[in-house]
Amino acid sequence: MSKSQFISRKQELPLDGDTTSLFLQVIISITVFIFAITLSGVLSINSMLHNWNESILGSLTVQIMPVNLADKNKAQAETLAHQDNVAEYLKSVAGVENVSPLNEAQLKKLIQPWLGDGVNLNNLPLPRIIDVKLKPQAEIDFEELSAGLAKISDYASLDNHKLWLSKLIKFADGLKMLAMTVLILVVMVTSGAIFYTTQTSLGLHKYIIEILHTMGAKDAYIAQQYARRNAFLGAVGGIIGILFAVPVIFLIASLARQIEGGIISEAALSLPDWGIILSLPAFSAAIAMTTAYYTVKQTLQKLL
Amino acid sequence: MAVKSIHAESNAPVIEMQNVGIRYDKGPEILKDIKLSLKKGSFHFLTGKSGAGKTSLLSMMYLAQKPSRGIVNVFGRNINFAKRDSLAMLRRKIGVVFQDFRLLDHLSAFDNVALPLRVCGMDEKEVRKRVYELLQWVELDRHMQATPATLSGGEKQRIAIARAVINRPELLLADEPTGNVDGDIAIKLMKLFVELNKLGTTVVIATHSEKLISDFSYPCMHLQNGGLHIYYPDGKMGMPNV
Repeated sequence: MSKSQFISRKQELPLDGDTTSLFLQVIISITVFIFAITLSGVLSINSMLHNWNESILGSLTVQIMPVNLADKNKAQAETLAHQDNVAEYLKSVAGVENVSPLNEAQLKKLIQPWLGDGVNLNNLPLPRIIDVKLKPQAEIDFEELSAGLAKISDYASLDNHKLWLSKLIKFADGLKMLAMTVLILVVMVTSGAIFYTTQTSLGLHKYIIEILHTMGAKDAYIAQQYARRNAFLGAVGGIIGILFAVPVIFLIASLARQIEGGIISEAALSLPDWGIILSLPAFSAAIAMTTAYYTVKQTLQKLL
Repeated sequence: MAVKSIHAESNAPVIEMQNVGIRYDKGPEILKDIKLSLKKGSFHFLTGKSGAGKTSLLSMMYLAQKPSRGIVNVFGRNINFAKRDSLAMLRRKIGVVFQDFRLLDHLSAFDNVALPLRVCGMDEKEVRKRVYELLQWVELDRHMQATPATLSGGEKQRIAIARAVINRPELLLADEPTGNVDGDIAIKLMKLFVELNKLGTTVVIATHSEKLISDFSYPCMHLQNGGLHIYYPDGKMGMPNV
């Protein structure tokens, strides 16, 4: 066994000592942090939109306005009669899976947040609510249903949630577009930083690169050394960014859950969402590697 | 002689130049109307005063520079039209010894010598075998792990020569290869060049040493006033179409 077998091989390009390495790693950490937070926002909005869409497709609400009579008991009885008639009609409609008129307790619970405790609801002319669950894939003609309800009761009105949900969905879509723009900007900033640090490094190591070229090195040989180094920096920077981002995502999620109304708390991240977020270091490594490789190839083209 | 364009031929001259001129920026031409054809297996000295253009001529030969005008064919390929990867493949057939050595300071003597083999993608086991043998031959095996900064001028020169010949090049270009070594070592290194030449390597050695030229009877290309002339050992003078 010759002595030469015990000599460790050093990289021809001493990229480890580049001052730009630390800068690049910090930039990648910050951008991955921003990317992870923004991406979690996009994914949450997606899941929220999905849930809202499900609720649009899966249910509707029928409201029975209270009958206004001088005799309160008679008025209440008449209102309930309207409710029963409407419920019976709804059960006969194709595509309806379940019809559930809300009882007194459920109605009180719904209205309590607005009126608070201590108000005697018995004295108030409350509308009745019927919750209607639709069969999966059911195709309901809402106009026909409204007309049918009108025939059964003058006091019945249909709310298929579309109006208020369409406004929310429009708002959520706007947020999503904004977040996507941020993501694109983050990728562009990262690629730009990698481009300039790689060019700076090529300038620093011009002497070594000339010697490597004289020895017969192809541009790809040099580009591969940069790609390997930048993949490492991208992965480490990405892991650091993710380590900072995950607690922040949990914190935001916990704050969102405390908001009453349930709209934002529907924006939960699923397991595949977490998979995407945690794979960001691999993504940053791939971007750093590819950008560095093509920057080197393109820059060296200008040489002989 | 017709100038070959892109396709190499087996009997093509190793280096061929037609009406080659070099100038830097808008300055005067350093080399003018150079005509040159070096056959495979030839051995030449290259002489000329400092600033005569020896380094410029050599740099065209090892494909670090294109001519300002004229045609340069290396191994039958016109370097003006060859693609970058093709130039890299041609450079692998060329060994270069620089006057200032151009060793990589952060690498050991071993890694410096191994450079041309690793660039070619040779198996690391074979690289280590070849480099160790050559370092033994140039009597630097004890300094394998030393960086150039810790070596003497002569030792650096031997490392530079070992790096140039490790790949058994078809063309060896050396700029003052024995300038910093003792007489015995100089003779030994020259014998190495002669042995390589006998094995078919075309050799061009730029030197100021009249002793070296007189000790080894090979034709001498001389640069003067931008032109190239050739002197044969028998005293005859002519154009370098050998």
